[in-house]
Amino acid sequence: MGKEKAKSGSLARRPDNSAFKQQRLPAWSPMLTANTVLPFFYFMSLICMLLGVWLLLTVQSTQEIKVDYTHAGECNVCFEIRKNMSNAGESCICTVEFSIEKPFKGDVFFYYGLQNFHQNLRRYMDSRDDAQMVGWKENLKNPSIYCEPFKKDQNGLPIAPCGAVANSIFNDSFTLTYIDSSGTEHKVPLLRRGITWYTDKNVKFRNPKVDNLTLAQVFEGTTKPLYWQKPVYELDPHQATNNGFINDDLIVWMREAAFPNFKKLYGILYRANKPFTKGLPAGNYKIEISYNFPVQYFRGRKQVVLTTLTWFGGQNHFLPIAYLVTSSLILLIAVVLTVVWLKFGKNGKNMEE
Amino acid sequence: ACLGLADIKIWVLTGDKLETAMNIGYSCNMLRDDMNEVFVISGHTLLEVQQQLRSAKEHILGLSRVSSAGDVEKTDMFAEDSVFEETIIAEYALVINGHSLAHALEPQLEHTLLDLACLCKTVICCRVTPMQKAQVVELVKRHKRAVTLAIGDGANDVSMIKTAHIGVGISGQEGMQAALASDYSFAQFRYLQRLLLVHGRWSYFRMCNFLCYFFYKNFAFTLVHFWYGFFCGFSAQTVYDQWFITLFNIVYTSLPVLAMGLFDQDVNDQNSLRYPSLYKPGQQNLLFNKRQFFMCTLQGMGTSFLLFFIPYGAFSVTVKEDGSNFSDQQAFAVTIATSLVIVASVQIGLETHYWTAVNHLFIWGSLTVYFAILFAMQSNGMFGIFPSNFPFIGTARNCLSEKSVWLVILLTTVVCVVPGLAVSFLRVDLFPTLTDKVRHLQQTTKRQGPQEQNLRRVRRTSSRRSAYAFSHQQGYGELITSGKNMRTSTVSSARSPQRTPHSSNWIENMLKRKNEVSCISV
Repeated sequence: MGKEKAKSGSLARRPDNSAFKQQRLPAWSPMLTANTVLPFFYFMSLICMLLGVWLLLTVQSTQEIKVDYTHAGECNVCFEIRKNMSNAGESCICTVEFSIEKPFKGDVFFYYGLQNFHQNLRRYMDSRDDAQMVGWKENLKNPSIYCEPFKKDQNGLPIAPCGAVANSIFNDSFTLTYIDSSGTEHKVPLLRRGITWYTDKNVKFRNPKVDNLTLAQVFEGTTKPLYWQKPVYELDPHQATNNGFINDDLIVWMREAAFPNFKKLYGILYRANKPFTKGLPAGNYKIEISYNFPVQYFRGRKQVVLTTLTWFGGQNHFLPIAYLVTSSLILLIAVVLTVVWLKFGKNGKNMEE
Repeated sequence: ACLGLADIKIWVLTGDKLETAMNIGYSCNMLRDDMNEVFVISGHTLLEVQQQLRSAKEHILGLSRVSSAGDVEKTDMFAEDSVFEETIIAEYALVINGHSLAHALEPQLEHTLLDLACLCKTVICCRVTPMQKAQVVELVKRHKRAVTLAIGDGANDVSMIKTAHIGVGISGQEGMQAALASDYSFAQFRYLQRLLLVHGRWSYFRMCNFLCYFFYKNFAFTLVHFWYGFFCGFSAQTVYDQWFITLFNIVYTSLPVLAMGLFDQDVNDQNSLRYPSLYKPGQQNLLFNKRQFFMCTLQGMGTSFLLFFIPYGAFSVTVKEDGSNFSDQQAFAVTIATSLVIVASVQIGLETHYWTAVNHLFIWGSLTVYFAILFAMQSNGMFGIFPSNFPFIGTARNCLSEKSVWLVILLTTVVCVVPGLAVSFLRVDLFPTLTDKVRHLQQTTKRQGPQEQNLRRVRRTSSRRSAYAFSHQQGYGELITSGKNMRTSTVSSARSPQRTPHSSNWIENMLKRKNEVSCISV
């Protein structure tokens, strides 16, 4: 109610009798009544349960196999070699064997996994120069200060790509072979392209561009990162769309993982030819690994993961189980609330003063 | 009277004479015929005053009797929070002369005075100088854990207004001095009721809700980094995008809580006036104290825990539909940020009792703005201009287009909101407070006509006092009894002050003015 009878002389200063200023705005005043809360809880419980069951079924239809090859078999030799930094130039190849009982139907994805490697450490994550990786020339020759100490080498040449993230790129390579029942070996073709996000490949990472110059010439005056064997413009000399900064493996690695145990995509099964048209058949397999990445410094482990996928992503049991657990908890709460309401609440409320 | 129901004590400090003040007191129903005792303190020396105070106190506490009367003009009140007064069932009133008050305010007597005054339902001080008004207020302020409010309309009330915690000035007939010196001013005494019971209460309610929610939101936001520390080697890597951290408190969540702080009403204004005891939670600090703060904090921590670990569980092994990785820092950040904004918005939606159009606009608008800014900042354009500052390019698009991410967000929201909802429902069901009951009443009878709370009018008829309050100079008595001034003015009858007609007598003017119920509460 506004001021109905102001003192004479102060009518002019009376505040407006509008709904806004007199706090009379039309409004909805909801209240938590049993009629709304209890059905809501039951409904949510039902939804969660349905989702959980659906997701569980979806996840059950995926298959996954993990092969840890840090010390496995021959790779132990390589592991020992890699302990010594001076052997970094030496290549070491080892083979690991495994078998699949049930065939992997559909698209199969090949990942390499690392454990205990903290790509989410703050200084590590800051140690990169996105402007350089998108092809700005001033950053090519003069990388950002965040890249220290991987900004310039001891000769004063700028490093491209600079930073700790690029420096520590995962450089094991894999060749998968299928040994069929008759003993013939078939090399499993893996598509090493298209493993990145579209925006990463086409927007975030671009090679510096100068007309009429080859990539090697554009990168003149820079040097490779300290731990690399090859400079960045030789990562894939045969394919221009995979060379330089836009190399798929580099891009995949530069997208830092959130947790210390992660896996990154290495390749996708190429299913054009037999015997892989339907996926990976059951049987024995062996992987030939060019073992380069040393993990004993951080007590890490390396593994290879092969998996099929659904729209939900690979074998991820957490979410369906979480949904089912949530659904049952909500149901429990709903039942308790109903009981309480029936016993006490129905009449205890509307007392007037 | 109504403010008495709200646990507000009213004291009257006036410069009038004893009889005038007493008559006003009876007309306002502050003094009533059915009161057990009205103590009058009118001693002239310190010893007399002391003796009178002491005997009054003893009487109340069970022994002897004194009676007195006083005048009423201005009121100043305080709320009592000690339990002692509640045990006094009988009603007493205290009336003190200004002269006696001067003695009673001496250091050795002031505690006695205060104790006695607190035991009485009504205190009336008459013939009080402006200085003494301020002193009385000061006395209460200093020794009682109560908040004081002083209301007055003249220049002589300025000192009192300034001394009290809250000063209210009536602007109008006696000029603007009181209004200028005060924290609040309005034109009629009766608006005080609305100021306190409606606006004051709403203000407290809104403030507490606002604070609670603010702490909750910020704890939920910040403690996610604490949990993340376990996984990132405690390197202080932020979970969220830098821009999100900057904008979270300013843009994404500030407007809804502002709307809640401005517009929320738990009970509408008519019911606030009808049920003055709704005022009590404010006096007793019920809505925001250490316990409430602790609960808010706990809720914030729990939310942050769920906000982090549910996406953690979902993300640590997940990949996108097309196989490319997904468990990277940036997608994780966007997922958690989106969940957080949604959970915060849902939470404030649940805490808003009064959804005006502005609330709707702010809440849904903030969510929309969040998504708009998210996509804008992680777009190609922004990256093209400042690559190093917007490293999250493309993340929102890739991340939020995955169905698994939305499932994660849904689960997080449900899990964060359901416990709070269950607890509040249980609380309202099992232990409804007066507020809940009134709200329920409001809900069920939406179009209840406003019944004016004229409780005092109803009770007025019980006063049998007839008052010819003109006792300031001898000459007037003869004048009135001779009937000479009956033609130009009518003698005011304090029995029904509203019907006091056009009188030129200054006494009647005062009576007219005092007809409005003036109560001050804290």
